[in-house]
Parts: sequence; structure tokens; C-alpha cells
Amino acid sequence: MDFDVISPKTRTALLEAMDACQDKKYRFGAGYTDLINDLNANPQEDLTVINLAQLQDEVFCNITEDDSGLHIGALVTAAQVLETPYVQTHYPVLWEAANSVASMQIRQTATLAGNICQASPSGDMSCALVALNAVCDIINTRDEMRIEPLADFFRGVKKTSLAKDEVLRSIFIPKNIQPKIKSGYVKIGTRVSMEIAILSVAYHLQADEKNIIAAAGIAIGAVAPTIKYTQTACEFLIGRSLYEIKDVVLENFSSQVLNYATPISDVRASAWYRTTVLENVTKTIFD
Amino acid sequence: MFHVNIFSYICRVFKLTRFRMNKNLKIIGKSTPKLDGKERVTGSAVYGHDIDLPNMLHGMILRTKYPCANIISIDTSAAKALEGVACVITAADVDVNMIGYKRDHPILKSNTVNCNRDEIAAVAATSKEIARKALSLIKVEYEVKQGVYDPFDALLEASPKLNERGKGLEQFGNKNMAESFHYEHGDLEAQKARSKVIVTKRYETSRVTHCCLGTSNITASYSKLDGSLTLWASTQVPFLYQRDIAHALKMDASKIRVLQPIIGGGFGSKLDMHPFEPICALLSIQTGKPVQILYDREEEFLASPTRQPMVIDLTTGADAEGRFTFREVKIVLDNGAYTSWGATTPFVMMQTYSSLYQVPACWFQADAVYTNNPFAGSFRGYGNPQATFSIETNIDLMAKELGIGKDEIRLINANYKGEITGQGLHFKTCGAQPALEKVIAESAYKEKINRGDTGRYRRGIGLASMLHVGGGAKIYRSDGCGTRLKLDHYGYLTIITGSNEIGQGSETILAMIAVEELGIPMDKIKVINTDTDVKPWDVGVHASRTSFVAGNSMLGAVKLIKEKLSKEAMKLLNIDAADFDYKDGSMYSSEKEIKIDKVVREMHFGSNELCVVEYFYEPPSSFQDRKFMGDVSGNYAFASQAIEVEVDTVTGNVKVMDVWVSQDVGRVLNPVGLQGQMEGGIATGIGFALTEEMIYAEGKLINPSFHGYKLLTSMDMPAVHFFPIETYDEAGPYGSKGAGEAPLIPTAAAIANAVADAIGVEFFSLPISAEKVLKALATVKENQLV
Ligand SMILES: Cc1cc2nc3c(=O)[nH]c(=O)nc-3n(C[C@H](O)[C@H](O)[C@H](O)COP(=O)(O)OP(=O)(O)OC[C@H]3O[C@@H](n4cnc5c(N)ncnc54)[C@H](O)[C@@H]3O)c2cc1C
Repeated sequence: MDFDVISPKTRTALLEAMDACQDKKYRFGAGYTDLINDLNANPQEDLTVINLAQLQDEVFCNITEDDSGLHIGALVTAAQVLETPYVQTHYPVLWEAANSVASMQIRQTATLAGNICQASPSGDMSCALVALNAVCDIINTRDEMRIEPLADFFRGVKKTSLAKDEVLRSIFIPKNIQPKIKSGYVKIGTRVSMEIAILSVAYHLQADEKNIIAAAGIAIGAVAPTIKYTQTACEFLIGRSLYEIKDVVLENFSSQVLNYATPISDVRASAWYRTTVLENVTKTIFD
Repeated sequence: MFHVNIFSYICRVFKLTRFRMNKNLKIIGKSTPKLDGKERVTGSAVYGHDIDLPNMLHGMILRTKYPCANIISIDTSAAKALEGVACVITAADVDVNMIGYKRDHPILKSNTVNCNRDEIAAVAATSKEIARKALSLIKVEYEVKQGVYDPFDALLEASPKLNERGKGLEQFGNKNMAESFHYEHGDLEAQKARSKVIVTKRYETSRVTHCCLGTSNITASYSKLDGSLTLWASTQVPFLYQRDIAHALKMDASKIRVLQPIIGGGFGSKLDMHPFEPICALLSIQTGKPVQILYDREEEFLASPTRQPMVIDLTTGADAEGRFTFREVKIVLDNGAYTSWGATTPFVMMQTYSSLYQVPACWFQADAVYTNNPFAGSFRGYGNPQATFSIETNIDLMAKELGIGKDEIRLINANYKGEITGQGLHFKTCGAQPALEKVIAESAYKEKINRGDTGRYRRGIGLASMLHVGGGAKIYRSDGCGTRLKLDHYGYLTIITGSNEIGQGSETILAMIAVEELGIPMDKIKVINTDTDVKPWDVGVHASRTSFVAGNSMLGAVKLIKEKLSKEAMKLLNIDAADFDYKDGSMYSSEKEIKIDKVVREMHFGSNELCVVEYFYEPPSSFQDRKFMGDVSGNYAFASQAIEVEVDTVTGNVKVMDVWVSQDVGRVLNPVGLQGQMEGGIATGIGFALTEEMIYAEGKLINPSFHGYKLLTSMDMPAVHFFPIETYDEAGPYGSKGAGEAPLIPTAAAIANAVADAIGVEFFSLPISAEKVLKALATVKENQLV
């Protein structure tokens, strides 16, 4: 593995570096936990890596809270997410997803943007963020910003909407609008740690004082080429009481979720297993 | 006559140990950190991967693209022309012998390739990158053939002969039979007739691998000046290895010096010599420069040994009282394309079938069959985990049918002290029953069994026991070990032992023995054990033998050095007779005291003698006869495990909650080391039971990484509650028995029984994956609906 490295320290330097690379093959490197594997599997010649790890830019690096919600910089690591009490109390789904990533060591370096831009159907934090209706903040070499819902950002296995002159700068999670939340991340795998999800379910439900669901986000991972936001299943829940989702209603809900799954069989599990467990797991959310 | 002589010799050592067993011990039995512990945890340990010699080249191997093919042509010209490439070799360039236990394995393959590991060419270059590039430039033309991947297919008349050199037809009546073992005792038909219950099941075990964290590695340095070859190799059997390399390369064995750097995991994987090792030597011989070959993880999965997958057809019986009547078993082992030591695992398995619990009659047949799969090797437990899984599952089924407690049936049939089994194993001490009783009590087995949970999470508990050799195993012409001791002018002791340290902690035991017997402090003891040019002979690390055999050898040497010291000390102290106490670097006799270093100096300068001794120990075991009858080990280890699991019926995942293990170790030598062996063995056993499996499609490994191969991590470890049983066996140092392999042997069996208890479905194939569990639960549900 042989590549050139540019390490911009400021946003301006980053945009200049990107600009200079427009005619070349280049990749971003943040925590490198995906990139190095990628390059090992598909060695590339004449590659430049724009190293984001030394960037000192508030938007890229910090977690900030405002009236509308939470902004998490692209370079925030899974470990930093876990150290943020606001996430733990308001978005348990993200906290649990971050906690399920690999191991303590990997979590120290794995970034949120790396997890998203890798566009793996089994990305844990990505799945949670889709359930949270997160929005991408993307800038280009001319310092122009565009925003896009994360669910739309994913275009296929390892494919995103990011253009060559763009970089993911931060992620925005809208503020909870209801007092009660039911939020969590279920990751199915063989090992307790160091495991890539065989399938996953992220759910973030908000209910009013009377337990009526007013907002619902449910995403499923590793059962389709991209992480899926299960739109109709979410809509199905709106207006229902948290305690009414059982028996036939539960069956109905779970089949709505299953509609979004087109799992494959691979070394780790068969399509049958993924479908069966997805069905079983969705039915446990309201236990 | 030969045996008788050795025997009387051994008896002298016996007396010595018996005497010691009654003494108050200073360090034996007290937790002592491993000698190499500090180096290991601080990262200063020098592994094979860290070796870097002047002008060293990097070797790499080109393996076949197809598991079964004829090779039409090999063109290495472009690789040879690449700058930085020092040499490229193929079978055509070397004059070598076949390797392997049956000498049926060419180091480099020329006409045909027979499994997906097969080595076709090797390069040595100035950097790894250049070596890799050179491999990509070698052109091989193949004629792809349909391979045979199922041993039962290979046994068919219509199957092609899979290993050209196989002698199966002449020796065993089938061209694809690589090895075959038959054993029997007792009157099988009579025992069948008196059985109240007979259970027949087919068991299947998967292919798993050692997953050493240190990947395979070797550095070879050949001197064109004197024709000597130095190998930095991670073998566990250096003297057999030296001979194997010599045979492979048609060299004089004594020209080969084997040095053993610290190794990152053995577990049996380094018992065989593998093709990459003579290949590395050949690259060095051709270039006259040192050459190093290091595997990456993928190559490690692809080309390092595995456990034998087996299909076991087992029938067992018991009478109305639950007493076992017979065992009849037919085993087919997937030998793979070539024959390794792995083909001899039936030798151990037959002991389990014949002698684990009391068995009046046994009929055993095991055939290792060539296929186009990779060849297996030896792996901690050596066939015993597979055998034990089948036996212990059948026991639960028989108990169920008879309406007897699963704990009770085991106690009724437990091995006992003084038992001479049908095969002739003599249990002079035996902790089988106490071990069973201990885990039954500690786990609250009686209260937990048949709980019948019905919710999402269902708990279950399972029992299993095991029998394994505890005092070496006489399979090679000698099962012995040599020791040299040297005391220097400053009172430091150097132990030069033939035995090897591969992480199991045996060198620490030897040092502890020296502290115990000679009163020399730990920090004045050095252990030299890594150089075949220096150390005396030993057969190697296997069969849980090292602390037992090397420990006894050490005790023999200690006796000799004490005689030497006493003689000199008596002279210096002017006394006629004395029985010295050794403490804090001094020797004491009544009121008199003298420092050991002074005695050594006086011995040298006064008597012109060196304080050096040498001793060779051969265990009191005997060879088995042609019918495999005989007392093959110095003593035997027994163990039981009770394991509680929790099955998640939503996902099919099985979580191991607690493991209670009780093992007859004779005597605990180093508690912390022993606990390490327990936990490590159990971890491997859990993986074998639940998650680990090498998955092949038409002979090609499709999960050669830790991503796809589910080795468990420390986060998956349950609590391990360990209760040693001390039976003080006369044969072992201070009464101890070998302990290393035992902890993993009953684990899969106990887990399988626990899962069956939790969900009411038995599993006859490993691993018991989440998917298998979920399928079984779905089937149960369907049947209930019908
Ligand atoms: C042993 C191991 C275990 C793992 N376990 C898990 C797990 O349990 N769950 C899980 O979800 N993942 C897991 N992963 C994958 C990986 O750790 C995560 O996806 C991680 O979040 C990636 O972040 P990174 O900073 O290391 O990304 P990098 O490797 O640096 O980058 C990943 C990709 O994103 C691109 N990229 C990075 N930052 C940006 C940016 N700001 N803008 C545009 N593109 C960008 C890179 O070019 C690259 O293509 C594991 C990886 C390893 C090696």
C-alpha cells in the first residue's frame, strides 16, 4: 500500500487540497478503520489520501446543541458520541449503536462520517441516524453547503450521493418534539463485540403525555443494499398508543417493516435467518 | 528386557517423588507469574515476526487457484526478470523428499494440485512488495478437474484416486483410505443382548482452526561456507522437526540448528512440519541469504492446520440399572489431500470410547479418507473433543430413555481408582467421581435441570466428563526429556531443558521446582530451552506432557546436583554424613551452613570439577501392542464440566452463562497458570461448540478472516468456576498430572446437553449456530401446530 498524504489543518486548506485533487484519484481518511481494509482489498496506484485527522475546524470536530437539535461534526468518534450525556438521554438509539461498534479500541478512532460515507448496509451509527431522521451537512470546494436527509444520501453498497468535490462536514439530528421517547438499537450478531451486524433494527419513537405516538423513526440494517427507513411502518404507528401495539397490530407493524427487507444469504447468515429474526425482533420492540 | 531396566530406574525416581509429596512446600502450589510474562505484556518479547537479519530476503508462496487440477505449465520467467527478485523455485528446481506423516505430500506441487493450499512456486525478493508482485507474474496453466470434497464420495469405487502416493488399496482395501484404526474389547453381542436401552446417532463435527494470534512464520539462514542451516521456527517439536527438515531436504540432521523464538500460540498447530518451512530453507539454500516467510491472516486461515472434521456413527447401550454395556463406533475422518499427524487422532479417540466411564465392550473403527479439502493437523484435545461430544450426548439420551438422572447415570458409571480398563489403561489414581460430584454440587445441577423455561430466554444446564492422558503418551520411540543443570560461581542456576515453552507455562514450573528443591531464589534462575544445538533431546510439546515429563526430568537432575553439592559441602564443613536443607541460596545441616556459590567455587578451584549434571527421564508408560492394548500414559487426567446456557428464542443465539469445571490435576503446581489453561481451553471449547467453522464451497475457503470466522472474544467469556481435584499421583512431579488439553475436551458436549435441556431439542452437529437453533425451534413450533 503506497499513497500520498495531505493533512490540511484548516477548512480553507482542506478545500484547497480537495480542489488540487480534482483531476486525481483521491480518498478521505478519518479514522482509517474502513479505508485501510478497502485499500488492502483493492490496491490502488497513484492514490492521494486527504487526511482529515489533523483538521482543526469547529464544525467538523465538535458536538453542539441548539434550539433545533444536535449537530455532530464529521470527525466525532464513536467514543466521543458515547461521552455525550445529551445523546444518551435524548437519542438512546444512537448511543446504543455507537456502543455496539467493534471494540473500545476501534471506537476511539472510528468516526461518524467514516461510518456514513463507507455506506455499508451494516453501519451501526448510520442505521441509528437514519431512524433519527438525521440530515447531512455537505460542503464543496467552493465552500457551498448543501443538505440532504441521510436516508437519501445512501445510494447503494458503498455508494453515496457525494460528488467528487464534496466532503461531509456534519450531521444534524432534529430535537425531540414529544416528552416520551422509546428508543433503542438492536444488533444481531454472533459475538458480543467485534461484530458486524447480521441485521439491525434502530427505532426512535416519540409519544405525548397520553402515550400516543406522534413521531416514529424505524430503520433496518444489513437486510438490503442500503440501510432502509421503513416509511410505511413508521406512518402505521402514528396516532397509536404505545401500549396498543400487540397481537394483530403488532403482526401488521412487523410485516410493514419486513416489506423493506430484501436480504441475501452470505457466509454469516441465510436470507431465511435474516427475515425470521427481523420479524422476531420487530415484535420485541414493544415488550 | 529394555522395558524392565527402564522400569526399575523409574522406580527410584518414584520414591523420590513420594517423599517430596509429604513435605511442606515453599513455592509449589503457590501462584507464580510466568517467567516470560513481563516481556509479553510490555511488548519486548521477540517473536519470529520481529527477526530481521542482515541482507534478509522476503519469501512468498504461490498457491493454486483451483483445489483440484492438473498443472499444464508453469512460467516463472517474468517473475525472475523482475528487479529485486533473488530467486523463484518450483518443483522442477529442487531435489527433495515427500513430507508428512505418511510421506505422501510433495513440498512443491508439479503435476497436480489437490487442495486449495497447494504450493506451486516460491519467490525470494528484497521486499515483500516485490515478492508479491513477482507472484502475480508467475503464469500457471491449469486443467481444472472436478474435486471430491465429501469423504463418503471418496470411498466410492467410482471416485478417482485422490493422492497418487496413497497406499490405501494395499493397506486398507480402499484407494482413498489414508489411515485406519481398529480396536475392540469385550463381548459386544452379549452386551447388546443385556442392554435395556440402545441409542444410535450420527454426529458431525466441523472444521475449526487454532487462530494463533502470531501467524505462521519462519526465518532460514543457510551458510554456503559450511553447509549449515539455521532455522528460527515456531515448531512445538524441535527435535522431530529437525529430523523432518533433514529428511525433506536430504540433509544431515545435525547440520540443522533449530532456534525457537517466542511463539504467539501453538495449540497443536505446530506439531507437523508444513511445506512453507522447507520451502523457506530452499530459498535460503538457493540464494545463500537469510529468507523469511510470514503469513498474513488470510494465508494463516488458508494454509495452517485445522481440526479434523468427522462423521461419527455411535451406538451405545446401558442395562436397566443404567450401567453402560457397550459402545460401537464407526468414524470417518476427512483427511484432506495429504496426511498429517491429524490422521492419528483415532489413537486418542479410541481411549475415550474404550475407557471414559466403565465400558464392558467396545468396537471401534476409524478411517481417515483422502479428499480435495485441505489437510487437517493436530489440535489441542487431539480428536477427544469430537469423541466426547458424541459419547456424552448419547449418555443424556440413554438416561432420558431409562428415566435415570443425567447426573446419576454418570456417577454410576464413573471411572475409579485401581481400574484397569478394557484397553489396559491403569488408573492408579482417579478423580473422575469427585470431579463429577463437585460440578454437580457447585452448579446446583439438580435444581436447575429440566427447568422447562417457556419465555423468550430459556436456561438449560448440561454435564459432560472427559478422560485424557496425564503423563505423556508413548507414541514415539521415546517419550522422554533431558535436563542439564549448571550452577555458577555466583549461585545462579541455569536449567537447560529439552522441553519447549509455547505459552503453556512449563518453563515457569521448572524454575519453581528449582526454587523448591534447591532454595535458589527465582531471580537467580535462567531457563535455556530454545536451541537444538544446546539443549538435550525431548520429544516435544503435545499430549499435555511437558510439566509432567520435563518436571520429572528436572527432579532427576536436581537429585544428581544435590549429591554433587552434598559431597563437596561435607568435605568443606568437615562432616561425614548430612542431609542438607536448601534455603535462600545456602545449604544447612544441623548448626552448619554454607553458601551454595561457595560450594560451587570450591568444587571448581579445589576439586577441579564443574557443578554440572545431566539427566534423562523416560515415563513409565508402555507401548500399546498391535491391538492397541496397553497402559500408554504415566497417569490419566479426569475432568467434568457443568455448563449453564441461555438460549434466546428470538435470535437463536446461545449464551454461555457459567462454566463449573473440576479436574483431576494430580496436584496443583502453579494455580494462576492452571487457571489460565482452564479459561483458554474453555474459550476454545465454546467456539467449537457454538460459533467457529471454516466454510468451504467446492474446496475453497470462503471465510478466511476473523470477520467471517467467528472466534469469540473476551467479551463472550462466561465466568469459569474451577475446582481442582488433587489425587497425588505417584508418577507425576509432586503428584501432578498433565492438564493442558483437558479443559476444552468436555466443553462442547456439556454445552450441547445444556442447549437440549433449555429448548428440548438435541443437536448432533457442531457448531450449534444461532441459525441451527432457530431452525430447530421453528420445526418444533410447526410440529406442535400439526
Ligand atoms: C475490526 C473492525 C470492526 C468494525 N466493527 C464495526 C461495527 O461493529 N459497526 C460498524 O458500523 N462498523 C464497524 N467497522 C467499520 C468502521 O470502523 C466504521 O465504519 C467506522 O465508523 C469508520 O470510520 P473511520 O473514521 O475509521 O472511516 P475511514 O476508514 O477513515 O473512512 C471510511 C470511508 O469514509 C470516507 N470518509 C471519511 N470521512 C469522510 C468525510 N468527512 N467526508 C467524505 N468521506 C469521508 C473515506 O474516504 C472512506 O471511504 C469495523 C471496522 C473494523 C476494522
